[in-house]
Amino acid sequence: MSEEVKSSSAESNAEPTATRSAAPMWIIVVTLTLLFLGFVFFDKHSGWFDAKIYAPYSSAEQLENWQPQSGPAAFLARGKKVYEQVCGICHGVDGLGKPGQAPPLAGSEWVLAKGVNRLAHIPLEGLTGTLTVEGKEWNLTMAAMGVQLSDADLAGVLTYMRSSWGNKAGEVTADDIKKIRDAIGGHPQPANGEQLKTMPE
Amino acid sequence: MKNGFAVFFAVLVTLGGSWLGFVVAPAIQLGTAKQAAILNSTDTWPLQRTGEATLGLQVYRANGCAACHTEQIRQDSVMAEVTLTSLGKSKPEDFKAFVQSLFVLPELAKVTNNLAATLKDWKGELPATILTTDDKAMADAMADRLKAAGVKSETGIVAIGADIPRWGVRRSVAADFLYDYPVQLGSLRVGPDLADVGARLPDANWQLLHLYAPQIAVTNSAMPSFKFLFEVRKLGAAPSRDALNVPKEFAPAAGYEVVPKPEAKELVAYLLSLRADAPLYEAPFSPVTTAKP
Amino acid sequence: MNPAETDQVCPAKIDASCRVPLLALFGGAALWLVIGLFLALLASLTFHAPEMLAGCSFLTYGHLAPAANDLLVYGFAIPAALGVMLWIFARLSQAELVLPLLPVAAANFWHLGVFIGLATILCGRSSGFNWLEFPRAAAILLGVAFVLIAISAVGTFSQRQERELYPSHWFLLAALLWFPWIYSTANLFLVSTWPVRGVAQAVINWWFANNLIFVWLALVGVGVAFYFLPKLAGRPLHSRFYALFAFWTLILFGTWIGIPEGAPVPAWLPTTSAFASFLLIIPLIAIAVIVVKTVWGAKVNCKGGPFCYLKFGITAFILSGLMLIASACPEHGRTVEFTWFGHAQTQLQILGFFAIVICGAIYEILPRVMGFALPFPKFVRLQHWLFMLGTVLLVGTLAVGGVQQGLKLYSPDAAMLALRFSTLGWAAFLLGSLLFAANIFVMTMKWKLALAKTVIAYIKSPLASSEVKP
Repeated sequence: MSEEVKSSSAESNAEPTATRSAAPMWIIVVTLTLLFLGFVFFDKHSGWFDAKIYAPYSSAEQLENWQPQSGPAAFLARGKKVYEQVCGICHGVDGLGKPGQAPPLAGSEWVLAKGVNRLAHIPLEGLTGTLTVEGKEWNLTMAAMGVQLSDADLAGVLTYMRSSWGNKAGEVTADDIKKIRDAIGGHPQPANGEQLKTMPE
Repeated sequence: MKNGFAVFFAVLVTLGGSWLGFVVAPAIQLGTAKQAAILNSTDTWPLQRTGEATLGLQVYRANGCAACHTEQIRQDSVMAEVTLTSLGKSKPEDFKAFVQSLFVLPELAKVTNNLAATLKDWKGELPATILTTDDKAMADAMADRLKAAGVKSETGIVAIGADIPRWGVRRSVAADFLYDYPVQLGSLRVGPDLADVGARLPDANWQLLHLYAPQIAVTNSAMPSFKFLFEVRKLGAAPSRDALNVPKEFAPAAGYEVVPKPEAKELVAYLLSLRADAPLYEAPFSPVTTAKP
Repeated sequence: MNPAETDQVCPAKIDASCRVPLLALFGGAALWLVIGLFLALLASLTFHAPEMLAGCSFLTYGHLAPAANDLLVYGFAIPAALGVMLWIFARLSQAELVLPLLPVAAANFWHLGVFIGLATILCGRSSGFNWLEFPRAAAILLGVAFVLIAISAVGTFSQRQERELYPSHWFLLAALLWFPWIYSTANLFLVSTWPVRGVAQAVINWWFANNLIFVWLALVGVGVAFYFLPKLAGRPLHSRFYALFAFWTLILFGTWIGIPEGAPVPAWLPTTSAFASFLLIIPLIAIAVIVVKTVWGAKVNCKGGPFCYLKFGITAFILSGLMLIASACPEHGRTVEFTWFGHAQTQLQILGFFAIVICGAIYEILPRVMGFALPFPKFVRLQHWLFMLGTVLLVGTLAVGGVQQGLKLYSPDAAMLALRFSTLGWAAFLLGSLLFAANIFVMTMKWKLALAKTVIAYIKSPLASSEVKP
């Protein structure tokens, strides 16, 4: 019995003990390195807890970029982007304008007019003097911010303005802008409020 | 370690971390999710199941179908496709020459080989996908140039993966399972993935025959037969309306017919309700639309 | 007995105090092991002939597979683990088992719960959640039983004179805390009256499955191994620091694994799981270093005995952990996702690692607890070889089959040959489990017969004259 016992199981009833060897630094270094690499991996692939980001997308911008757009939606999306970059600084991203800086566009009769001629003149020529917008008087100067934009982009911006923030007016096409631009010709002068009122819509 | 309480507390915090991260946080983030909006549409997703299909989910659970089938399609990447829809006034040869002239542009440098290969044998059939790339900006640039040249094109988003397009058109997302209890995602694919089987195999008769005797539909199938969901009964004066049209090798004896029990019909209704084919914000793609009436 | 220990309880008394609770737990565990492996063999056989059980709705594959899995874990693994834990706590505390009736009652509750669960699954009323198929009644029985045993275990632990904890203490105490936590959470969030909505169910299910199969079995298996390996090798465990480090990294990283990469959940969940999977290599390295440094050079010839079981089991654990890490690799892990590879890793963890470690421990414990030697000592070695063969045949074939299946993009025929060979693995395990059950049952019968003889002898013996009424 004792032979078998010795070979298969130590019959000592002593409980096992553990040695107290010094801590090996290498495993701690390896752990910290892997932790760092893991966080880099997490940063790259996790989308940082966003509920809408699923693999293979890794950021909200990337997901937004890959959204498919149908024709009118793409046009509006581009118009929105340009508006926010060019016009929104003064007129506000919400179209409510800023007192002393720019009149509101939301609900503005100038934006909602049926024809687009008068409206398109403003970014293509600029504006000085007094103008009444939604019952309030504004006496400011606006540069011709639309001159640097292409026909398509300006059309997109104006369409976006006419269909956002509660505005409901028809779209503006690139052809419309081209015609108005040609009519204005080179060296446009800023219009003033009085001139604008007499212009055809 | 001698201070028992400190150790206990530390273990509690460590273990509790995963409890917070993988139980509480998903319960809050995903458990309170609402319906998703289908892209370019006013409809919401997921579609509500019929009562029969809802009962079918319980039949699916009861029979342990999730032991062999998954309901989760994966996606590896996404690509943009530029498809020609109309050449306008140009002729195919002129168009080819035009595209060749674009090869010198640096922004299209990476795809010149693909473009050349695609257009080599192209004889002018439309619609034609001329560019597939994982660089959306490049696809947009191409589309802009085509537009400037008076050619109509569409840029589509396509999901790419080993599971796509065999079993679906896009990856499965949380919104697909909003109304499921219990969610039967599965973990092993002995059989095909079923997330989009309602779109892939919409024939109820095929599904019923496949359940009755899988070998009818798939030779050498490893799927066991679910005969017990069907009733083999004596033919009455006329065959039952629901009787299956079973092929000769699997048909019952003469004078008997195979009729699905309610469980079989519910299960098939559930399978037909399994779809993952609506484009969502979190899983965008351009659905292939058929011609408008 | 060491004269210095005269004021402490002698080991024989400690062992004797554990006798009835351990028999209650181990007896049921052995039975469920045999039944579970039989059901698994049956399930595996249906791949050879799908028409085999076609008419019987109870024995359809969708019932057999989860039933077999649950019996292996809930029926065998957990009761066996608890029994071994109670004995180790008693021995380490050098005190008799506290409240021994609690584990006896609990064992009966537990086995009843498992029986109810098995019947429910076969009748088609499983809850639909992986590893949580048991109905509410069974879950409550299991939960209550576990808590009763935990009370006894913690009570025994608190009787210890030696204040410093041995590494096994940490692992086993953490296991005692973790199982009720994960089991109650999973049942409350998934199977209760107000389950969580949508795909969060799947996330919690995966969390529970990983924490039960990988983390809990690892905690107990490694804790048991850290107790027996030094004891059987006759050398001290190397070392406290490594063991502490392995413990903390195991629970810190291991508990976050489990979400598959392709899951229909936001990207942060599978990414966190993948992150944790990479870091799992750290506790695996630590445990491997401990085991190798403790066992290497030990002049013990195990001859197919418990020492061999433990060595093989721990090796299987390291392998199982490596398989888990491999399946989490960002690019290549996707190939084996949803294939038999994951199944192979689960079976390696449950059978190759845990069953072997705990059977080795039981073979070491039972003769001491019962006070007499094993009735079939040769079966120990035979079972060792059968279990090793079973592990290789089962896990090896399924792993290869899984890789083939993944490379061929889940084509139905890809893994068929491997699946058919895996049936041999199940058969080997079943044979080994029959040998195990034989040893336990005969021991139980011998003890009961001896007990019956004592009782009958007492009844038949003449009364002492002082007890006879005039």
